[in-house]
Amino acid sequence: MSIIYVLIPIAILFVLIAIGIFFWAVRDEQFSDLEKQGHSILFDDDKEQHKKANERD
Amino acid sequence: MSQSCFHCLEPIPSGFDGQVTYEHEQHPVCCIGCQAVAEHIIAEGMSDYYKFRTVKAGKVESLVPDQLKIIESYDNDAIQEDFISHQGSLNEVLLSVEGISCAACAWLIEKQLLALNGVARVDVNTSTHRAMILWDPSLIKLSEMIASLHSIGYKTYPFQADEEASQKQAVAKAYVRRLGVAGIMTMQVMMFAFAMYFGMFSGMDENFEEYFRWISFVLATPVILYSALPFLSNAIKGLKAKQLNMDLPVSMAIFGAYVASSYATIMHTGEVYFESICMFTFLLLLGKYLEFRARLKASEFTANLHKLLPLTARKLLESGEELIIAAKQLALGDRILVKAGETIPADGLVIEGKTSVDESMMTGEHLPVSKIVGNQVFAGTNNHDGVITIEINQLGQNTLINQIIRLQHSALTKRPKLVEVTDKVAQWFVASLLLFATATAIGWYPISPDKAFWITISVLVATCPCALSLAIPTALTCAVANLTKKGILIKEAHVLETLPKVTRFAFDKTGTLTEGRFTITDVVTLSDSYDKETCLKFAGQLEHFSEHPIAKAFEDYFPNSRALDKVEVRSGYGIQGVIQNLNIAIGKPSWFENYESEAQAVLFIDSKPVCEFKLSDKVRNSANQVIAQLKSQGVTSHMLTGDSSNSGRLLATQLKMDSVQSACTPKDKQSYVDDWASKGEVVAMVGDGINDSPVFNSAHLSLAMETGADISKNAADVVLLRSDLVAIPALITVAKKTKQIVRQNLALSLIYNGSILPLAALGMVEPWQAVIGMSASSIIVICNSLRLLKL
Repeated sequence: MSIIYVLIPIAILFVLIAIGIFFWAVRDEQFSDLEKQGHSILFDDDKEQHKKANERD
Repeated sequence: MSQSCFHCLEPIPSGFDGQVTYEHEQHPVCCIGCQAVAEHIIAEGMSDYYKFRTVKAGKVESLVPDQLKIIESYDNDAIQEDFISHQGSLNEVLLSVEGISCAACAWLIEKQLLALNGVARVDVNTSTHRAMILWDPSLIKLSEMIASLHSIGYKTYPFQADEEASQKQAVAKAYVRRLGVAGIMTMQVMMFAFAMYFGMFSGMDENFEEYFRWISFVLATPVILYSALPFLSNAIKGLKAKQLNMDLPVSMAIFGAYVASSYATIMHTGEVYFESICMFTFLLLLGKYLEFRARLKASEFTANLHKLLPLTARKLLESGEELIIAAKQLALGDRILVKAGETIPADGLVIEGKTSVDESMMTGEHLPVSKIVGNQVFAGTNNHDGVITIEINQLGQNTLINQIIRLQHSALTKRPKLVEVTDKVAQWFVASLLLFATATAIGWYPISPDKAFWITISVLVATCPCALSLAIPTALTCAVANLTKKGILIKEAHVLETLPKVTRFAFDKTGTLTEGRFTITDVVTLSDSYDKETCLKFAGQLEHFSEHPIAKAFEDYFPNSRALDKVEVRSGYGIQGVIQNLNIAIGKPSWFENYESEAQAVLFIDSKPVCEFKLSDKVRNSANQVIAQLKSQGVTSHMLTGDSSNSGRLLATQLKMDSVQSACTPKDKQSYVDDWASKGEVVAMVGDGINDSPVFNSAHLSLAMETGADISKNAADVVLLRSDLVAIPALITVAKKTKQIVRQNLALSLIYNGSILPLAALGMVEPWQAVIGMSASSIIVICNSLRLLKL
């Protein structure tokens, strides 16, 4: 069980890294517009190629 | 096939049959503008926009050459100084974009701009309607980017962020950071707390418990010293102002319990409360942040309107040449040219030409004022139909518009305020809590000096005013969210508390009680050869080319076929053109011969009057009902109008209002409201023009119409987004219900705190019991507040 004395500090280290990433994201304005980020996954950035491929068919 | 436009979803006018092809199907569009934009979007492979958008697009208007020239002037270095910042070799600009309605727009704009060579980064914010662009000035010009956005249907203006807005943004970011730290750390602390709860029952190794306590201490420290810091600083600020506010008991509980738990951890004694204070901090911060965000959104929305004064001016050089320069470079005595449709950049005298000027944003009156040589024109007003040359006689701070703004700012500091319930409860609660804790400490000290400290701490924790401090913010947050859905933006926190106390409602006339635009009330034909329908069609076609406010009344009759030739605007008379070889004209009754009529517009065919149109400013449908409703609740209605004619009095009688004051200057309006306020009345002002903005700050409460001037919306506490007066009774209902819920919440939490207090003071409350009681009371309060969402 004494392994827990090592594992918990490592877990805390991960938490600190997570907070670091979170601070970076806040500074980068990723939280300023929550609606847009939620939708961004729907859009298909390769549409142009699709269209050209369709035309060749 | 649907009969609405594929792009903007507006109905398709008869006679226009444009179409676009989308996914192998033909879809109709309403105008050439929409057709061009839709074809462009589809051809560029951005058709996902149509798939995922949730809100319709705005109708597209094409750029006229004059507008293009203004856009090109944005490339001028002197003009750019105002709104561009540099990042290394890249330039950064913030544009406010008209017509962003959903996430699909943001995607469309980002994709369109990033495809341009030289654009490094684009960040569109759909809630603020702004786009941040980072670009390389050696590769692409700002005007090219603005034109490119226009080609997909978005009008943009450089946005100048003011100090206040950027400060608010910084506060919002600090909130998110604090909330994030509190959330992440609370999860960790809770994990160890659970281990220790179970350890209590099943037995845990002493060493592990000691270790877990230290870990909890390390994890809770940033939450208390970073996330909870604002509570402490607010409490100290309150104390300095000799006030006991709600933040005082909150920070006493948080920091007291933290100090006690840390002491317990270091000295191996007593109990630790790390998980409770972490969670409490997180919940409180969350409530505060949500409330702040709702208000931030409201203020962003109103701040995001294009500027009152234009950035550029057309200066006339000695040689007679015309040069576009930055408006702030103008000097007294300069001569500038103002074309039809442009905003006047400075106060001045007309020295050449004649025109009519729309001063509605100053006065609220929508009828244009005619200006001839020698007349004074004011910065910020809109030049309607003629081209004028003016000589500048007032600049910057001395212009009329800035004088009104100064009047408004000076009123802000003298604003009457009602004492808020929160403060009253806090004063009372804090004082009694402090007394009780001291009494406990003094009472226990002679019995057992050892226990005295711990029992005092447990009194503070048990009575920790979780529920009490959540009672008001959660209710307000839910009420604000509900109202936002109804199209009522609440900008100030005190609105919901002040509203049920209002005894007088003062209304502006034009644009508030009336719609502020002309509608056709009567059509009289004077000749047998043309019926009403043909006359309206002719009038609609002609007026489509006019910027005159009267022309808007004919908007619905524009048939959208281009049968009109040789259109000419005759300043001061009207507009004329040729349709089917007929010379038609619409304008003043006395245009061609000495024809006398009371009608505001007369249609002439071959110089003979054929039809009269009577127009009037329509009273809002809901005005009557709203005023009656207010009366039934014992609130009186009053009219304060700048209009000097008799129409205000007539309207007030028709609506059965309690009093009317006409021909009011902004200062008069202020003094009426001040007078009422000094007699103990609580006054709410509803208005829309710039002339209403000073009085907004004199009234206890101010409401602005969405259709009103930007500056009045900025000054107001509430913006009615649908410009519908019906919102007022709805607002009062929600405010009353909120008051009721807040009272229930306060009662619930006081019952809990009051009943646990004696038990804790007698040393009968175990820590886990205190934690359960605290959480349960908070949850009950939150659930009670959530009822406001369903109103």
